[in-house]
Amino acid sequence: MAETDLQIEEKKAVQAAGESTRDVPVFVPPVDIYESENALTLLADMPGVPIDKIDIDLDSDQLTIRGMVDHEESKGKVIFKEFTYGDYYRQFTLSSDIDRSRIQASMKDGVLKLVLPKAEAAKPRKITVQSM
Amino acid sequence: MAIFRYPGWRWPDMPGALEDFEKARRQMDRLLSAFTGGSEAVTSSGVFPPLIVTEEEDKICVEAEISGIKAEDLDISIVGRTLTISGERKPEEAQDVNYHRRERKWGSFRKALTLPEDVSGDGVRAECRDGLLRLVLPKPEHVKPRKITIQGQ
Repeated sequence: MAETDLQIEEKKAVQAAGESTRDVPVFVPPVDIYESENALTLLADMPGVPIDKIDIDLDSDQLTIRGMVDHEESKGKVIFKEFTYGDYYRQFTLSSDIDRSRIQASMKDGVLKLVLPKAEAAKPRKITVQSM
Repeated sequence: MAIFRYPGWRWPDMPGALEDFEKARRQMDRLLSAFTGGSEAVTSSGVFPPLIVTEEEDKICVEAEISGIKAEDLDISIVGRTLTISGERKPEEAQDVNYHRRERKWGSFRKALTLPEDVSGDGVRAECRDGLLRLVLPKPEHVKPRKITIQGQ
């Protein structure tokens, strides 16, 4: 058992990210980004977004993630409401060079995983110092 | 001292300044009404997972946002009128990496909810899809509304 108790993180609405044509709120998904020697990995929580409603775009160093929520509004009377359904949008500027041809995206349990492999030129190269 | 405006009066060297002010005020009102009116307000209990509970004539539906939680790490039980959702959200294990951002939370959770009506134990459906949990709790026969037809002579 983990020691931490999970709290609700209130969804943050996107501030002016270009207007959406869909009449639903747009939220900023919380992300984890970690870097290994070979790749940059991004995890984003996007509950309610199926894999075919994800749109990932890499334009020079601008990475844009969009996810459209897919759910049927319940017809019943609302008794209790703690969250709102909405789309997700977030943009990042990448610093290191990414090998576009090998980008992998997968979706599991509402979490997007994006693996951005580093281009050869951006990988750290070991320089051996030769003794004279 | 009072500041008031004559009808039709304008700022001499700033024509339209007050109109802009009025416009801003109207926009503000509209913005505020979007928060108070329209859809139902969101009231958070602060306990994970966030829920939406809706009631229909014959069933109660509970929806929860549980992204990143596997079905086997989730425990749902109903005792009497109390629905309990508990489980754990596990962090992804990654070796030899540098974290640039860590915004996703993990940990264990337990949330109990008193249902507004009795539910019949069997026939409860639970499904997990794309990080959403959806529970359908049918009401037992005796609390369902019954239609009474009036017979003519």
